[in-house]
Amino acid sequence: MSNNVHEIIKPKEDLNYSSEKKPIHSDSSVEAKPLPKVTIDGKTYEFKPGDTIMQVAERYKVHEEIPRFCYHPAMPIAGTCRMCTVEVEKAPKLMTSCSTPAADGMIVHTKSEKVLKSRTGVMDFLLTNHPLDCPVCDKAGECELQDYNFEYGPSHSNFKEEKRVYEDATTKKLSDQVTLNMNRCVHCERCVRFTDDVTKTNDLVMVNRGWHKELDVADERGLFNDYQGCLTDFCPVGALTWNDFRFKKRSWFLDKKASVCDRCSKGCNIEVHSDRDVVYRYIPVYNELVNGHWMCDEGRSSYNDLMDPQRIISPLLNHNNSMTSTSLETVIGEVKKVLKTAASIQVVVGTDATREEAALLKEKSTLAFGKPVTINFYNGHIQTSQEDKKLDHMLRMTDKTPNTRGVEETGLAPLPNGELSSEVAIIFRNGRAGIPKMNPHQKVILWGVWNIEEVKNLPTNNIIAVIPGLATIEKEGSFKNTDGVVQKFHPAIQHRGGAVTVHHVVGLMTNNN
Amino acid sequence: MGTINVSKKYTAKERAYLPAILIGMKITMKRFIEGFFFRKHFTILYPEKKRDYSDRFRGAHFISVDENKTENCTACFLCETVCPAECIHIVADEREEETNIYGVKKEKKPLSFDIDLLRCCFCGFCEEACPKDAIKLSTNYEMATYSRDEAIVDLDQLKRPMNGRHEKKDN
Repeated sequence: MSNNVHEIIKPKEDLNYSSEKKPIHSDSSVEAKPLPKVTIDGKTYEFKPGDTIMQVAERYKVHEEIPRFCYHPAMPIAGTCRMCTVEVEKAPKLMTSCSTPAADGMIVHTKSEKVLKSRTGVMDFLLTNHPLDCPVCDKAGECELQDYNFEYGPSHSNFKEEKRVYEDATTKKLSDQVTLNMNRCVHCERCVRFTDDVTKTNDLVMVNRGWHKELDVADERGLFNDYQGCLTDFCPVGALTWNDFRFKKRSWFLDKKASVCDRCSKGCNIEVHSDRDVVYRYIPVYNELVNGHWMCDEGRSSYNDLMDPQRIISPLLNHNNSMTSTSLETVIGEVKKVLKTAASIQVVVGTDATREEAALLKEKSTLAFGKPVTINFYNGHIQTSQEDKKLDHMLRMTDKTPNTRGVEETGLAPLPNGELSSEVAIIFRNGRAGIPKMNPHQKVILWGVWNIEEVKNLPTNNIIAVIPGLATIEKEGSFKNTDGVVQKFHPAIQHRGGAVTVHHVVGLMTNNN
Repeated sequence: MGTINVSKKYTAKERAYLPAILIGMKITMKRFIEGFFFRKHFTILYPEKKRDYSDRFRGAHFISVDENKTENCTACFLCETVCPAECIHIVADEREEETNIYGVKKEKKPLSFDIDLLRCCFCGFCEEACPKDAIKLSTNYEMATYSRDEAIVDLDQLKRPMNGRHEKKDN
């Protein structure tokens, strides 16, 4: 295996990288000089010219965090929320650390009395119109407004008037995926800048001014970009919520484990949020090599396929033309009998298998199935990884399987014409790769992640058995994504059904007793 | 390990045992006279007659409802979070937009709300945590059931109309 394997054990730190992306001083003469220094809270740090105070502080982890609402490392700096103000010596007023470039010899205090008083004031103003509905708000528990109010907020509010209520926008469906509650909004405009500068779809705007400032969709199409879930991730309050997760679970009950999304060949890094091994959502995790901060909606809702009650998680055997649930040993025994009498055997590996699984199948197939077999891979969306194309300027790819390059690397050839030819075919796929074409009398053994509907709609009636397999987030392995980045992942949840690893099935098949 | 002899020698009065019996009989006769002639009772005829407990008594739970018999609970999970016995199990859902007359105030509802009374330790934390004053502990202490399954009460069994801070008695 190559030596640049990126192991996904815990989420990577969300380090700021915007200054590296857009260097203000690009000429090399700056690099030759000694780096300038800035003093933050009594300690001196070197920084790259162009960094703002917040970026220097974040790079060196001066504190846990300088509080911020409008600042996001992957978006242009706005400086509107005034939460990140710091005291700079010799400056007459407090400066916003997100937008003030650090200068040589600057002395900054991030936790002085003046700064804390300012933050309390900002929190007081933000909370004047924020409804007290944390108990029903889905953001509660991971809300930046809640956290910062706990840390910096005033003990009581000075606001005695009626709170502002947006009558039409309390529960407004911006699209099928996102719901807006405008009352909770703190007008940081991260969402507007995201659609302007990241997705470049410009589908969100702020209308009206001042007290009446309101988030709205730009035209009658509503919210239409393919990265709407990201809006709900970085919204610092519960104004934008993800409908799929809305009201399902409170955030503090969730176990968070890192994994890799298997919905397309990009392999976005994700955090699987589950409770008692039931997945409630995926959220993207920062990885500069792969996905940056983002993830598409298709991948975000792909956990529904695994949590689907229609997914087959028990070994099935064809008994008098009906599929019957039975033990794995019985199924393997029957499969062995069928394979012994078969004239020719063919194994089709879906490109959603991990590199380890593909290598194991290639190596052990002949041994496991008792006679020489032809083994190919099948993608279903494209032929080979050369045809893989970007669907937009961000992350989405045409190849909807995660490991086409990794499977190709093991030396397997694509299935000719995407059609099964042997008497008995073993189809191994994990729910993402397509199903090969077959004639109505083709004998097939299905292996991996299958759905009842998929099995019902197969063109053949000769299904011998279904052997359930583990899905990506339930197993260990590695994927090679479309850019050649190898990502190793560990199980994020434990499988509670009857699915077993490929290793186990191959072991049972090779065992002659 | 050695043994320690803790037995003691009885005094002459204790050995005679008659004085102790007389003291006991004195108490028995006193209670008999009080009860038989002066009608002073220390017990009650329980199922027919019930003892009044303090308003602070923490008995079986109920969930308060509003004037439309809709539960005040918004399925915020705070009681489930705070519960030390982990006896509350809630499944939340969104109220149907067409039938929701409350708007954003009650857009979230409990689809199911189960309390396992056998696990519950009646600490009252759920009542304290509830932001909507929905879950309350009543003064009802009669929770005996014929099976364990019956001790798990659901939303329909929990919903009661309120009378001030207390459950309405006449329902």
